[in-house]
Amino acid sequence: MSLEKVVFGFFVLLAATLNFGFFIGDLADPRLHNEYELFAAVVVNLIATVLKFGDRTQIGAVHLATSLVADLQLIAATLAWTWATQVSADGLNGESMAAVVSLSGGALLANIVSVVLLVIETVSFQRR
Amino acid sequence: MPGSKRWWLPGRDEQRPREARRWTRIAVAVQGPPTVFLILRRMRAPLIVLITIFAVSVLGLTLIPGRDDAGQPARMGFFDAFYFMSYTATTIGYGEIPHAFTGAQRLWVTATIYLTVIGWAYAVGSLLTLLQDRAFRQALALQRFTRTVARLREPFLLITGYGQTGRLLGRELDALGRRLVVIDTDAERVDALDIDAYRCDVPGLAGDARNPRTLEHAGLGHPYCEGVLALTDDDEVNLAVTMTAALVRPELPVIARTVSPAVEHRMAAFGSPTVINPFDRYGDHLRLALRAPASYQLMAWLESGPGAELPERSQPPRAGRWVLCGYGRFGRELTEDLQAEGLTVTAVDIRAEAGTEPWVIVGDGSEPHVMAAADLAHAVGFVAGTDNDTTNLSLVAAARHINPELFVVSRQNRPETAPLFAAMRIDSLLVPAEVVAHEIYAQLSTPLLWRFLREMPALGDEWARAMVERLQQHCGRRLPGLWRTTLDASETPALHRWLCDGQATLGDLLRHPDDRERRLGIVPLLILRDGRATLGPADDDVLRAGDQILLAGQPWEQRALLNTLTIDAVSRYVRYGHRVPSSWIWRRLTRSNR
Repeated sequence: MSLEKVVFGFFVLLAATLNFGFFIGDLADPRLHNEYELFAAVVVNLIATVLKFGDRTQIGAVHLATSLVADLQLIAATLAWTWATQVSADGLNGESMAAVVSLSGGALLANIVSVVLLVIETVSFQRR
Repeated sequence: MPGSKRWWLPGRDEQRPREARRWTRIAVAVQGPPTVFLILRRMRAPLIVLITIFAVSVLGLTLIPGRDDAGQPARMGFFDAFYFMSYTATTIGYGEIPHAFTGAQRLWVTATIYLTVIGWAYAVGSLLTLLQDRAFRQALALQRFTRTVARLREPFLLITGYGQTGRLLGRELDALGRRLVVIDTDAERVDALDIDAYRCDVPGLAGDARNPRTLEHAGLGHPYCEGVLALTDDDEVNLAVTMTAALVRPELPVIARTVSPAVEHRMAAFGSPTVINPFDRYGDHLRLALRAPASYQLMAWLESGPGAELPERSQPPRAGRWVLCGYGRFGRELTEDLQAEGLTVTAVDIRAEAGTEPWVIVGDGSEPHVMAAADLAHAVGFVAGTDNDTTNLSLVAAARHINPELFVVSRQNRPETAPLFAAMRIDSLLVPAEVVAHEIYAQLSTPLLWRFLREMPALGDEWARAMVERLQQHCGRRLPGLWRTTLDASETPALHRWLCDGQATLGDLLRHPDDRERRLGIVPLLILRDGRATLGPADDDVLRAGDQILLAGQPWEQRALLNTLTIDAVSRYVRYGHRVPSSWIWRRLTRSNR
């Protein structure tokens, strides 16, 4: 058992589950989407990305790419949320909430790809 | 190929135009390790720490209850918390927003300030350590080198070994405008590349030339690599370089240095490298000096490269007995050469075996009784040829003490001892590094020079004496540049029709563009026409289109001649004596007046 694998698997899965938790629920209803969950998803995703830094294997590179996509989407979601709560006169209405959640939905897709990659990596790994 | 910057090596006549102008790869990945990966890998831990600290601090701020200006409970939003942490963590700091903090908030912020400073310090520190890291800097240097070499868009020579020979040759080739790439095992020598004054940037890499990957990084597979020079002082390395070059790029000319005939033989098994053995070459030079001192003088002068001073004409004794100290590889080569010239030789060496050859005395040359046995008083020449400079110097001093009339030859192994040998006023000094450098220079500078040097000894000593005289008269005691001109449509557009008339003489061509009654201070050394070379052509020789001429002269004279060759108005004045307007309008005007 490699600690590196455990830690990485933990963060990738946690990123996906947090993101899922935030995403699930009515798209436009702010009450169903917890901002703390979004925050946690961003942080865990960032950590998962950094963990793949410097990995020069093929699958590591794809991992890094999907993580970066998830980061990008989540940061976009955060920015949309910030815009709605801080700048926009309308506040956090259904429309802006839908934008935030759908962006996080995109990130979720990337997270799922990450998890799939993780599973593939685990399955194809054979100790000789 | 007229006009192109191509060169030629004996036996490899004009093989340069390659069908495949592509990289030849030895290994799949020739790029050095991308440094960005190294940075990312090392920065993983600090970045995670930083993210965590930020996350915890921001989260804490949003959770801790605060109070607004009206005294109502108000929690900080994520945005405000992140904004606050951003300026706090970067040690900028503005104040407490959006409302003044409560005690609990201040407590938390105090803790986070210290935490974030630690995080920053750790991240920045790691980055700085990484930049100082030797492995990282090496990777960076290798990457930069590989990129510089890959970006070269001119023909370049790959030199392995930047010792005495490499440095001498590098300077001479650079003066000719050739591009170089250098590999040496010694990082200090590679660093010296930046200090040495080169006209072009010379990329250098500290690495082992025996490793094909190193050669690959240095551009062995590069389409513009025009030759490989193996000049290290290790025969084994030179052999490895020759082998690699011959296997990876069989069409590439290779020049290798060696002092061992066995290695020379092994090198010859791979393709047809030009192998230069300084001891062998020095023997040949000495034989030429014995037979024709002026020819040798001319050869030494021309081989020394741009700016070289006229060497002294030494006259080694042609009859008599020579005493030779040090009967190693050099001693044996020289003994054979001297005996071939009909001289008798007495060799002294401590490691020689007694009785094998009758002329060998076994013993230490610095001991008086050994010297006495060699009978220096009745000898004409003395050679101090050991591989130790101090021994050589003391041997020369001892020999001169016994017989001041001796012609003294000595071998100088290390560059540092040069002033000592200069002070000793040695009649003929062998510096192996210089022999190799001059030899390679003669072969690489222009193909015509090599041709000239090979055919010149046959013309005799008198001819060489006259040539030296003529060069000295026109160019002074310092040999200026040598260059080649091809008389064809691309290099000499202003002369093309004149050449076809069959009236063009060399003397007319070399008239001064400002005053045609004067002659340019340029000495024609050789004309190559249809594969036949005319050495030292006279001024009334008729030129033809397609002739290649080797000329010697000062740079300003070269520029004057270039005007004659390329500018129509100048060439008309030089040829016929009438001035022609050079601008379009003036030409129209003068034509209408006529």
